[in-house]
Amino acid sequence: MKKLLSIVLALVMVLSVASVASAEELTNLNTYETQARELETWNVHYSQAAADLNILCNLIDGLLTNDNHGNLKPNAAKEYYTNDGGKTWTFVLNEGMTWFDKDGEYMADVKASDWATGLEWVLNFYKNDSYNVSMPGEMIAGARDYYEYTKGLDVEEAKALDTDGKFAEMVGIAVDDEAGTITYTLVDQLPYFPSVATYNCLYPLSAEMIEEMGVDGYRSVTWEDMWYSGPYTITYFVNQNQKVFTKSPNYWNDANCKRFETVTVKMVESAAVAVQLYKGGELDHVSLPQDELQAIYSNPEDPNYANLVEARPTKYSYQMHLVYNKNLADGATPDDNWNTAVANENFRKSLYYGLDLTNYLARTNAINPQSCQNYVYTGNGVAFYSDGTDYTSKVLEAIGLEYNAETYTRTNAELAAQYKAAAIEELTAKGVTFPVQIDYYISGASTTAAQTAKVLEDIFSVCLGDEYVKLVTNTYVSSLASEVRNPRKASFFINGWGADFADPINFLGQETYNDTEAYYANYYSNCNDATDPDLIAAYQEFTDLVVAAKAITDDIDARYDAFVKAEACFLGHALVIPCSYEVSWELTKINNYSKVYSMYGMQAYRYVDWETSTVPFTTEEMAAFAAAYAAE
Amino acid sequence: MLKYILKRLGQSLLTILLVVSVVFVLMRLMPSENFFTDDELLKFTDKQKFEKLERMGMMKVCPTCGGTGLVEGLTCKQCGDQAAIAQQGDGAYQKPGTGYVNRSMLLQLAEFYGDMLQMRVYNTSKNTEVKSINPVSIVPYLQAKLAGEDPFGGKLKDTYDVRLKFNLGKSLRIEKNQYVTKVIANRIGISMSVGLVSLAISLVLGVVMGVLQARYKDGPFDHVGTGYTVFVNAVPHLVIYTLIMVLGNQLFGLPMRYDDTKGNVYLTMVLPIICLSIGSTAGYMLWTRRYMVDELNKDYIRLAKLKGLSERKVLFRHVLKNAFVPLAQYLPYSILLTVGGSLLVEKFFAVPGMGFLLPQAIGRYDLPLVQGIVLLYAAMGILGVFLGDLLMTFIDPRIKLTGKGDVR
Repeated sequence: MKKLLSIVLALVMVLSVASVASAEELTNLNTYETQARELETWNVHYSQAAADLNILCNLIDGLLTNDNHGNLKPNAAKEYYTNDGGKTWTFVLNEGMTWFDKDGEYMADVKASDWATGLEWVLNFYKNDSYNVSMPGEMIAGARDYYEYTKGLDVEEAKALDTDGKFAEMVGIAVDDEAGTITYTLVDQLPYFPSVATYNCLYPLSAEMIEEMGVDGYRSVTWEDMWYSGPYTITYFVNQNQKVFTKSPNYWNDANCKRFETVTVKMVESAAVAVQLYKGGELDHVSLPQDELQAIYSNPEDPNYANLVEARPTKYSYQMHLVYNKNLADGATPDDNWNTAVANENFRKSLYYGLDLTNYLARTNAINPQSCQNYVYTGNGVAFYSDGTDYTSKVLEAIGLEYNAETYTRTNAELAAQYKAAAIEELTAKGVTFPVQIDYYISGASTTAAQTAKVLEDIFSVCLGDEYVKLVTNTYVSSLASEVRNPRKASFFINGWGADFADPINFLGQETYNDTEAYYANYYSNCNDATDPDLIAAYQEFTDLVVAAKAITDDIDARYDAFVKAEACFLGHALVIPCSYEVSWELTKINNYSKVYSMYGMQAYRYVDWETSTVPFTTEEMAAFAAAYAAE
Repeated sequence: MLKYILKRLGQSLLTILLVVSVVFVLMRLMPSENFFTDDELLKFTDKQKFEKLERMGMMKVCPTCGGTGLVEGLTCKQCGDQAAIAQQGDGAYQKPGTGYVNRSMLLQLAEFYGDMLQMRVYNTSKNTEVKSINPVSIVPYLQAKLAGEDPFGGKLKDTYDVRLKFNLGKSLRIEKNQYVTKVIANRIGISMSVGLVSLAISLVLGVVMGVLQARYKDGPFDHVGTGYTVFVNAVPHLVIYTLIMVLGNQLFGLPMRYDDTKGNVYLTMVLPIICLSIGSTAGYMLWTRRYMVDELNKDYIRLAKLKGLSERKVLFRHVLKNAFVPLAQYLPYSILLTVGGSLLVEKFFAVPGMGFLLPQAIGRYDLPLVQGIVLLYAAMGILGVFLGDLLMTFIDPRIKLTGKGDVR
């Protein structure tokens, strides 16, 4: 028996070495999604959900896309320009683009006017139920007014509207089908507008298709009757089971892009089932759950040990959002002890410098927790200076921190102790009692969240001392918003924010003081209801800097410099505590560094120009890809 | 019997009405946050959320005046109040009781039933739908038809037909804007095929094993059977499914998930069917053995044995026939409930059936879909019990469903 086993093992090794030597690229990709992330609509305009857009970005081409470094890249538009510092932007379309059905049969030409039809659809209240209206509404001249105008109409009247008449009269878009140009007139000079052109709010829609299937037909469009213009069509779809993308036979850009013959997205019950499918050869990559990762990592004999590779961070930048107007557990009585403490800058800074989140990061990435470090508010890879420098590296410079693969560099015990002593002195004088209770809420149904909360409790206890603060974990039943956020029961929330377009305003604009559009300020931190003059002054200082930065539209570097100043001010006052990125581990046959890497928008899942191998990449191979990528 | 049937049908209709109405109201009492995806919650402005709820027919009540006038943007059409809604922010549509339990909800319920029972007038000459009319306005049509007139002003040679539309509305989240009936119809067949095969397997295996266990009571076979039943009931099902999945794949090369793009779709159904059968086989074994043992101890069996009937004849002609009656009562129910699929097995093997649909629809607040599925399940459940009663009287004519005295 032993002999037989050793022969089999030797054979397996020989075969695997041989297969690495003759590794070829995958022609058919097998990937997966968990069942909770099933697509809900095939109507690209009628969705703001990543689960839909990850699919649809492969089926219809937007004006621009991103490359593997996150830079803007021509797509349906071959070029774009502005002649007035960003108030109007013109996109010039490629020639020869067509709409086709799922079998690749020609339906119509892609025309500049399709972008006007698409925008009319998005802005028409009764056609698109307000989906995707916020960005064009805020940016394109007359768009908000047209949206309000359609709301005042009867349903049938609104559905009968097209791009002539009121739309042409009110909305800042001009199209020329002959020249293939689309010109957007904006409300202001917006230098980042081209990045919005990667997003589905500016996707095209064929007027001929609407004519054929009617408004209600497009609202309920399916993969079988939709028109395609992108690199793939869908040739098979069963909800909660799988979908098959097949290379479009007459794709306009066939010569310039590498595509798979087919991409099959399998819906799986859980990450654990995905691992089984990967091991059974039914998937070409799998993200490893913690227990599976530990099992492989702790056993060098495991056949997958050599293939463990670290994934790239997802686009969400996680922050610890402090709540400045919190209530007690009854949801009505103000928690004066916490509110007074958190309004004190020394108290906040003691948290900022005192907390070593390494163990918390290890909950996401047990092998290299420091890969998840995040010390700034804006996400990495969202905005770049004209010389290609990432905006966040300048913020790091401004706050005097840098990432380190080995240690959590923000923690400074000496500084934390100084701020803690000062906070105790100042707050005791104000009647605050210690330890200050910090309420943290998790879903009662999640054991993972409970384990993570326990880790956080330990971190607070060890780093700051039980006599100073006490983290108390509470649970909610089903809705964080209605049970915790609205009654203001939590002392802080840990939330991730992903950008929609490439500008720091997309992040910092969520935190500005007395601004109805600032999402986190209004719904999480409640800073507008704070009464402490020092806290208000800090928020006002930050807000003024953001407003000043936003006003700079003619010089991108100067604009970003101004935002760096604002963000450094925000972090300097410790108004928020940057927390983490999601960086997991996986087994994969895909070179992660060849994929579209966009930290904003919806292009990250385009299955175009991917480098793959029929055998899984090793840790060393992926490290080499990373090094080459960094050097590019 | 006819009286019984009519009475049961009347009761059934009432029960269905009650179940659907209660679910309708309960779903509207839950916090409305789940009407939105996580992405939407992050990206939608407050105004967008209001407006989406309004378009979904969920935002019909002004928190200030409580009127049923639609909220237009953030201003109540009825009292013109803007401040109160703005002040309440997110909470305005999330506080249970402030928005939904009122006249508006009853109106919505009425609308729901009205839509469901809408009649569709069909031009049978041209094979086209002429119009949809509600059940009340069908009266003039019938009057016109009885008077020999053409009620829709078409050419007299055209003929019309009236059909029940049975409109359950459109899905809000699971498959946006698709008809609920279509969403259900796409899944029901797969669940039923997997369910029926598994039911047949578990029924045959379970009953045969149960009979053998009873026949050789306290023997080794009985102990093994009992051990199996205890094992299946004691070990969490997901553990058993994982074992079956891994072993089935590694030992026999069976596909780990349902896939009808592969050559032999039936092969991909093997593991889900095995998983489904394992539990119900144990159930049938347990109950068959129990009823058989009960019967075996009765006096008439002893008498039959004393009179010299062979063991086999006693077992199959008398014991099994009587022991099967209580099992038969639930057979139609089990068959009909295969439309519901299995939550765990279907999710685990990605079988695109009905099993996962209801929890998914509840989780995502897809109200029309929840209502449609609840209606279907309630109807199937009630019909199953009703048919079970009839089947029982058919197998054992001594059982009476009506009359005085010893009736069920």
